Parts: sequence; C-alpha cells; structure tokens
Amino acid sequence: MLSLKRRIKTAQNVSKTTRAMQMIAASKLKRAQTAATLSKTYVNKLSEITKNVVTKTGENNSHAYMKKNNDIDRKLVIVLSPDKGLCGGLVFNLAREIIKEDTKNPYYVVIGKKAENVILKLDREILGIFPFGTTLPTFDVVYPIIKLVNDTFLEGKVSEVQLLFTDFTSVFAQSPTVKTILPLQFDTQENIKNCDDMLFEPSVEKLLPNLLEHYLEMILYQGFLDNYASEQASRMIAMKNATDNANDIINELKLEYNKSRQERITNEILDIGSGFFGIKNE
Amino acid sequence: MNLHLEIITPEKIVYKDDVSEVTVKTDNGQISILPGHVNLLTKVLPCEMIVKKDNQEHFLAITGGFLEINNNNLNLLADYAIRAEDIEIAKIQEAQKKAENMMKDKASEKEFRVAEAELQKALLQLHVASKRGKRKTS
Repeated sequence: MLSLKRRIKTAQNVSKTTRAMQMIAASKLKRAQTAATLSKTYVNKLSEITKNVVTKTGENNSHAYMKKNNDIDRKLVIVLSPDKGLCGGLVFNLAREIIKEDTKNPYYVVIGKKAENVILKLDREILGIFPFGTTLPTFDVVYPIIKLVNDTFLEGKVSEVQLLFTDFTSVFAQSPTVKTILPLQFDTQENIKNCDDMLFEPSVEKLLPNLLEHYLEMILYQGFLDNYASEQASRMIAMKNATDNANDIINELKLEYNKSRQERITNEILDIGSGFFGIKNE
Repeated sequence: MNLHLEIITPEKIVYKDDVSEVTVKTDNGQISILPGHVNLLTKVLPCEMIVKKDNQEHFLAITGGFLEINNNNLNLLADYAIRAEDIEIAKIQEAQKKAENMMKDKASEKEFRVAEAELQKALLQLHVASKRGKRKTS
C-alpha cells in the first residue's frame, strides 16, 4: 500500500518535470524555427549570387576554397550536437551516423558535449572542441571554427570538409545530414546566361574571396540554427511522450492502489462480520 | 519603371518594396541607383542608406553586405539593417555607452575590436535616427 503510494508520487513528480521541460522546449522551438527559416531565405539568395559570380569568373579564376586537394586522402568532419541530452533519438541517430561514417580516419571538429562523448569513446582524432550552448546560437560562434577549417583546408592537410548536423525539416522530422562544405561546389551550367552582362565593382577578383568567405560562414551558421531547432523539436516530442507515459503509469498505479484499498476494506468488513456472527452464535 | 528592392538579413527581410532610387556607399564611393541601371554586383560598406519612394526619402542603417542588381531587381544582403523608424534611440545609446566602457577597460584585443564594431554600429544608427524627423518631400 505504502509503496504504491510512493510510486504514484514519483510518477507525478516525473510528469511535472517533463511537462515543464516540454513547455520550455516548445517556447524555444518557436524562436529557433523562425530563425532557421528566415536565415534560409538569406542563404538561398546568397548562394544564388555566389553562383552567378562563380559562373562569371570561370575556372581559371577559381579561389582556393573551390580546389580539391587531391594529393591527400583525409577528411575533416565538423559535428554539431546538443550539449544537453533528453532529446529523444537525436543524439543516438547522430552517433550512428558518426560510427557509420568512418573509413579513412577523418579529423574531427566537435561542437557540443554529446558528440564529444561519442567521438572520445571511438578514440578518433579531434582538432577542436567547442560548446554548443543552450540558447539560440549567435553568429560569432562560427568564427573560431572557420579559422580552424581554414588552417587545415587551405594548408592542404585535408581533401575535403564535411558538416554533420541534424537537419530540421519539420517539428516531427529531423534527420542527421552530411553536407560537404569544402571544396565549394556550384552547378555552374544552370543559369549561365542571365549574368553575361553583369558588372562587378571593384572587380571579380576582389569580390570573390569576400563572397565565398561569407558564404561559408553562412552555411555553417545555418547548420547551427538547424541543429538547434532540431534539438528543441526533438526534446519537445520526447518530453511529451515522457509526460504521457508518466500519466499512463499514474493511472495504472492509481487503479491498483484503489483496488487494494477496496480489498482491504472488504476484508475488514468480512472480519468484523464474521466476528459479530461468531459472538452471536455463542 | 520601378526598382524592386529587397533587403535581406539573416534575421529577417527588412525591406521589400518597389522604389524609385537607392543610394548606398560601396568600396568605390557612394552610388545612387536609378531604374534601368546596368546589372551589377558590389560590396556595400557600413553606411546610411537612402531609399526614395513616391518622392519620399526613407533612411536605413546597414552594416555592410553585398548588393546585386539584376534587371531592376535589387537584392541587398546585409549583416544587419534597420529602418530609421524602427531604431530605438534609448537602446542604442545604452549599447554605445557599453561599447565605450568596454573600450576604456582595455580588454583583450578581440574584445576591443568587438566593442569598436558595436560602437560604430551604434553611432551609425543614431546618425540615421536623427534624420527621420526631417523627411524631405522634394
């Protein structure tokens, strides 16, 4: 009886906590979602412009960001993950992607505690570890990472750079995604005609590095925003399920508790009844 | 004939409208763009931007970015942009003070540069905000 009562209390506490976490995640999600979608329009426009410039410059003018280092066969993977757990299958899916990924022993740059733990356990080479944070990421987070990427990629230590993050498709669907961010690739054939007569100021050679750098930063930042939105969405759903489960358990336990209480009462009445009849018969 | 102007920042679409003239500062100096301008891509510096629509001038503060002109469609991708009407002077002044204090404290070089950039941004916004009262009708 007493233990049942205690278990009901525990389940109630759990449900209270998870409900609070669900609500926090929901409010954070709303902001994250708007940020992710709005910055997507920016990135799309930027990629359009960059594409135009790249098409215009042609191959003989390409920037170091676009050349593949063929003499080396090693990748740099940037992994984005949350700092905090309790967000459903997100971390697990990410970890599975990391384990599946490895063939040629890539370098890693890790953002977030959860991925850090996974990669440390796998004993892979890590070049840098950064925290992900629990609030909406600000733009400054990309600078140290870009610096690290430049140091390795432009120095020819790696052949390509990949970004592993959880893409935010909707509140109910987030999937770990691998995106090759360096060397930058563009579909140059597509809209080759609409920029024939475009003028560049001061000059293509001066604009291109600026544009490409900014583009790289934006792609990375977009990854951060997507990852953050995914984390919150995933956590919200996970916590909703946890709350529902806790409520189910509470109902079950309550039923059991009431049953056993009723049983005791019946037994007591029977006891009194049989006692009474015993006295009467004597 | 009109120019279709879109100012996009990572945070939001700040401006989306048909206008008749746009003035910004670029690497090569200040330029004004009228309808029929040749297609152009240029880097925009932090400046006060003037947008003319129906003979009314609107002011915006932008902190640099890229401007693309393509068949009278103007796309301005800016790191940060704000309309003069939306600038909250009290908030900016606070930011200005904070940045100045940080620069006085002589923190690390990185912090100093961040503060400097913040200060420039604040001053620019104050400058633009001071114009909004006297919107000319020419």
